[in-house]
Amino acid sequence: MKISRRDMIQATAAAAAAAALPLNAVPNPQSPVPKPKFFTPAEFALVDEMSDMIIPTDQQSAGARAAGVATFIDARLAESFEKDQPERWRAGIKAVEALSREMHGKTFMASTPEQRLVLLTRIAAAESDPKSDADKFFKEIKSGTIRAYYTSKIGIHDDQQYKGNVIQPGEYAGFDAT
Amino acid sequence: MTLIRFRASPEQDVDLSRTYDAVVVGSGAAGGMAAHVLTSQGMKVLMLEAGKKIPIEQELRSMQWPYDHPRRGDAPPGDHAIRFNEYNIRKPPYAKGSAFKHVFSYVGGWGGSDYVKDILVDEKDHPYTGTKYAWVRARLLGGKTNIWGRLALRLSDYDFKGKTHDGYGEDWPISYADLEPYYDKVDLYLGISGHKENLPHLPDSLFQRPNKLTAPEVKLRKSLATMGRTLTPYRAGVTTDGVKNKYRSKCFGRGACGRRPGGCDIHAAFDSPTGLIYPAMDTGNLTLRTNSIAHEVLVDPNTGKARGVSFVDSQNHRTYEAKAKVVIVAASTLESARLLLLSRSRQHPNGIGNSSGHVGHNFCEHVMGPGVTGLVKEMVGAPPTLDDGKPGGFYVPRFRNLQDKQPGFIRGYGFEGGSGFGLFPDSAWGTPGFGGQFKKSVREHAGAFISMGAFGEVLARYENYMDLDPEVKDSWGIPVLRFHYEFSDNEKKMCEDMANAGKEMLEAAGIEVVGVDKNILTEGWSIHELGTARMGNDPKTSVLNQFQQSHDVKNLFVVDGSSHVSASCQNPTWTIMALAWRSCEHLADEFKRGNL
Repeated sequence: MKISRRDMIQATAAAAAAAALPLNAVPNPQSPVPKPKFFTPAEFALVDEMSDMIIPTDQQSAGARAAGVATFIDARLAESFEKDQPERWRAGIKAVEALSREMHGKTFMASTPEQRLVLLTRIAAAESDPKSDADKFFKEIKSGTIRAYYTSKIGIHDDQQYKGNVIQPGEYAGFDAT
Repeated sequence: MTLIRFRASPEQDVDLSRTYDAVVVGSGAAGGMAAHVLTSQGMKVLMLEAGKKIPIEQELRSMQWPYDHPRRGDAPPGDHAIRFNEYNIRKPPYAKGSAFKHVFSYVGGWGGSDYVKDILVDEKDHPYTGTKYAWVRARLLGGKTNIWGRLALRLSDYDFKGKTHDGYGEDWPISYADLEPYYDKVDLYLGISGHKENLPHLPDSLFQRPNKLTAPEVKLRKSLATMGRTLTPYRAGVTTDGVKNKYRSKCFGRGACGRRPGGCDIHAAFDSPTGLIYPAMDTGNLTLRTNSIAHEVLVDPNTGKARGVSFVDSQNHRTYEAKAKVVIVAASTLESARLLLLSRSRQHPNGIGNSSGHVGHNFCEHVMGPGVTGLVKEMVGAPPTLDDGKPGGFYVPRFRNLQDKQPGFIRGYGFEGGSGFGLFPDSAWGTPGFGGQFKKSVREHAGAFISMGAFGEVLARYENYMDLDPEVKDSWGIPVLRFHYEFSDNEKKMCEDMANAGKEMLEAAGIEVVGVDKNILTEGWSIHELGTARMGNDPKTSVLNQFQQSHDVKNLFVVDGSSHVSASCQNPTWTIMALAWRSCEHLADEFKRGNL
């Protein structure tokens, strides 16, 4: 029928980019805290911060925090019909907090930005073969962040600078088959 | 179980006391075409559609941005789409015992599923049994034409005369020359876009202006030409220059068709209601009744001929009769077979039109799954361009077993593909890491991938069949279909070749292959089901003659994909409509002569 039919299979596209360290991961203490529907305020703060470390602000566009990634994830989990998904998120956050205490003796949000980066780098290292609950949580929050960020206004227009979904009254864009 | 509602829409006030010239069961591509041809010949037609009529433009909302939808296009909580693994690990009926409120076929799991939740059937109301099968059904006015993929291809004598070419199966009772004038009529009446290629195995249509290609597609096209293969812009059943039809607009390249399972809210893409049914209603000769589930073709006990159709109203659950001089079945390949098998009588104990025993047999379709993805290095970091403002990307027509003879399999396959920037950067899922480097990499690679997946011919085999389940019934008490179907060795060998050939073609063009998918998707995935009431010259081995007329019952016609003798590897919708046009012209002539 069409190519999008294959979206259901796991995406085959794999970029050849190497894993690298984030450029900056400094949280903005002035950012307003919305009242979460599913997460506790502490859980929300962790998800908000970690999503913004996964897709931070750079010269091109604002990051996950500005795009409201955590708010979108929170709203979806609050209305989730399948109970295992919200439970998985909650358990994952617990696992991250346990790891944070083990590594730095503090919660994730009480840690320094450098300590957070060390933790995130550690759980991201197992991305291709996650073993621990904290490793698995990285995959969960990364995929939630990707989904929410690249469907947001900031993701579509500022970051991707998507040119479609417009009316082309004359010639279509592209090249002739000659 | 659907709740009983007594509020009837105006269409339900149709006059069932009169005898219509013809009753058409189904309102998709085939039923719509039957209505168009017969009403334009002055026949009085009643159309029965099992599903409802919905305000489709409000449903599709083609240009809605993801962020303007509360769930970014996802269906509400409690809706569930059957996943690939579920189809393969479990057995139908897949929705049995499900805790979800509504269960849909896999199409409901695509991004943007909220736009099809009222188009796809709820599997809870529509069970089926037997072997694994991903059955996608749309019960509403226009059927699956509301959400079809729009690739509109012709068949050739490599398909119609396949047995002559390689010895397998049966030839069709017609050749390309018989159907060519009707393909032309479909092209002109409905509009089709494409680029002429002069290929004997994929005849050109009367094209309106084609879609454009991306730079990587031009590069692949040039490279394939040196291999004697072709990459052509997606041949779309979409009017790009407009047609004389007040219900349809020409295509403005908005591109929503590539982003969602939903259809086109300005009806530039063909759909049966605006393309065929509404214009047929404007003749004054077409009466439409929706929510009408046909479950038996009624037989005159004296003559053995069809005298009408019995149906259940999906909303009030009452049974009604529609009387007609001719019965035209166009309920889709599988539902049409089900209806024939359900229509048992003294004269037709195995189901109407089934003296051959071939109804439900010789099932065929397209096998899919294998495909490749390539990284086009010179596109990495290229500034974003408008690449998805079109109904589809490209098509690579069949190149196997035309002049050559493959050792492992007969027949062939074609590739559908696409490339460039889209609304969502799919490569993000496979980009490792996090942070600024991740974000930059996603941005730089967003438009740099090209991918294509193959659709191959599944051989028509008698032993692949569907019959009625002796126990299981749907929500209206009608026995359901039971599947006895699986891919054969020929399909599996062909799929191995698809993956290898795809890789070879990208590499030859200097494109780095970054993904090769060898998995075969579940039977049924292509939504191109065909062959359960095939045409033929011999009434002992076929159900219909070359005009899709029952060998057994001369006033019974089956004008949808069930009549196809083989699947070919080309998408079937355009052939379904050309065949229906030809058959209904013949039908109208015979009707006027009093021969039916």
